[in-house]
Amino acid sequence: MAVAQISVFLENQPGHLKRILAAFEMEGINVRGFSASDTGDYGIARFILDKPRKGLSVLQNMGCAATSAEVLCARLPDHPGELARVMGIIADAGINVLYGYSLISAIIAIHVENIVQAEELLRHQPIELVTQDEISSPQDNA
Amino acid sequence: MSDFSSSASAFYQPEIETLPREAIRALQLERLKKQIAWAYARVPWYREAFLKRKVKPEDIRSLEDTRLLPFTDKSVLRDTYPFGLVAVPLEEIVRLHASSGTTGKPITVAYNQHDLQIWSECVARIAVMAGVTRADRVQMAFGYNLFTGGFGLHYGCERLGCLIVPAGAGNTERHLMMIQDYQTTALISTPSYAMHLCEAGEASGLDWKASSLRIGLFGGEPCTPGLRHELEQRMHIRCTDNYGLTEVMGPGVSGECLCSRDEQHINEDHFFWEIVHPETGEPVSENEEGELVLTPLSKEAFPVLRYRTRDLTRVTTEPCACGRTHARMRKVRARTDDMLIIRGVNVFPRQVEDALAGIEGVTTHYRIALDNETGLDRMTVMVELTPSAFSDSFEEMDHFRQHVAARLKQALQVSAVVRLVEPGSIARAFGKTRHVEDQRNKA
Repeated sequence: MAVAQISVFLENQPGHLKRILAAFEMEGINVRGFSASDTGDYGIARFILDKPRKGLSVLQNMGCAATSAEVLCARLPDHPGELARVMGIIADAGINVLYGYSLISAIIAIHVENIVQAEELLRHQPIELVTQDEISSPQDNA
Repeated sequence: MSDFSSSASAFYQPEIETLPREAIRALQLERLKKQIAWAYARVPWYREAFLKRKVKPEDIRSLEDTRLLPFTDKSVLRDTYPFGLVAVPLEEIVRLHASSGTTGKPITVAYNQHDLQIWSECVARIAVMAGVTRADRVQMAFGYNLFTGGFGLHYGCERLGCLIVPAGAGNTERHLMMIQDYQTTALISTPSYAMHLCEAGEASGLDWKASSLRIGLFGGEPCTPGLRHELEQRMHIRCTDNYGLTEVMGPGVSGECLCSRDEQHINEDHFFWEIVHPETGEPVSENEEGELVLTPLSKEAFPVLRYRTRDLTRVTTEPCACGRTHARMRKVRARTDDMLIIRGVNVFPRQVEDALAGIEGVTTHYRIALDNETGLDRMTVMVELTPSAFSDSFEEMDHFRQHVAARLKQALQVSAVVRLVEPGSIARAFGKTRHVEDQRNKA
């Protein structure tokens, strides 16, 4: 159920993120969500891709420092309280959210300490978890 | 002139190369006095410099008295460009060479027939030290031009009696062909060009293990231990380094023998060496590191007294297993020009490189930026992350950064800010790479 996230080490300099995105475009890889955060000197850009494995190998072939991690993706109805509901379930179970960001539409990706347990928790709630297949499918626009 | 009779001999001129130390010192003093008198009598610049220091050639009665003499540095050669230090009539000059000046005019030096004879003799000696014999076929990959490397090593090896293939710089395919067709056994090149040949040969299916090549005589740029090891493993050759500089002659000042790796015997009958403190110019004790100062003892056309090489080394006069009695200088890996003073601590860029080589997860490519915006010197070292060391977690990355900083501090005795940069993002260059950007007092 978990979705692959591709992270890459980037210097905080103009053009470095663009170089990565241009490579994805050239390889026909669709970016369905991303987050870029920094420490001042360098940053980590994280991507949810329709073809994560290909995306990782593209980055590796470019010589980038890149890696793959698992995140949970949940589709949230677009009204008040929905984000709070998801985070509440995870917090009540004592699981730490390390970071999170939203994707296309109102899909959010979150990286948590215990992904198996968190997934199990959310699955038993009225929360729509999104699969890798849905992320990869171009039809998914909901 | 050559006493080289047996191809198995380990010396080119055994009687000189194994002279007892007292006899070497006596010979040096005798030649030094002559050289000083020669420069004083024939070169106005030296006469003036002696007068300024109130010293006369006859004041030099021992080798220690040399310290009364003025130094010569690169600026003297620049100011007297092109023929100001020439001590013989120009008609007597048979060769000019010049060092690659990165800015402005090059440094130009001149030789007469006598000087070229001595030069070949010095080079023949260091070639034999490196294991070359008259039976060797030597392939030249240095350019034949103003640079002293090409012609210097060419005539030295020819003097020794080698078959020399004057292929010159560039044209890798032809070099590979000649190694195979002429069955050459020794290669003269820069270590980085040797690596290029190695890779090109491998790509074209050449089996280096089966090839005739057995010795690499490298110069023109420092050969790091890592590069040397790789060349030896992949090309199945023995790599040796030799040392020299245009200002005092060219290659042939000193060379590595087969017994003491990383140390080079100085041709002491032709070069008087001193090691001085780079800032004060005062002599340091034996085996202590300092700046190498050279006085050629047998030059006629272009005498140079107490030349400040800017190269840092230490010299030992301990006996060597090879039987040579001439002093050995440790291979030069740093120049006084490279030395940085950071919050009062001397730091050499190569220390950064050495420290990085011992840390998992970073490459040995780096850049140093210095500033003192806050009033205190601050050193920032940009370090390339290797892909395998990357983690998706900022916390882990920061731990890693701190780990690198701690290791650098341990090696340099001064703290540095470490900035992690993307793999491959630091410009690669061979030889004289600019590693340091000093922005102090510029803000």
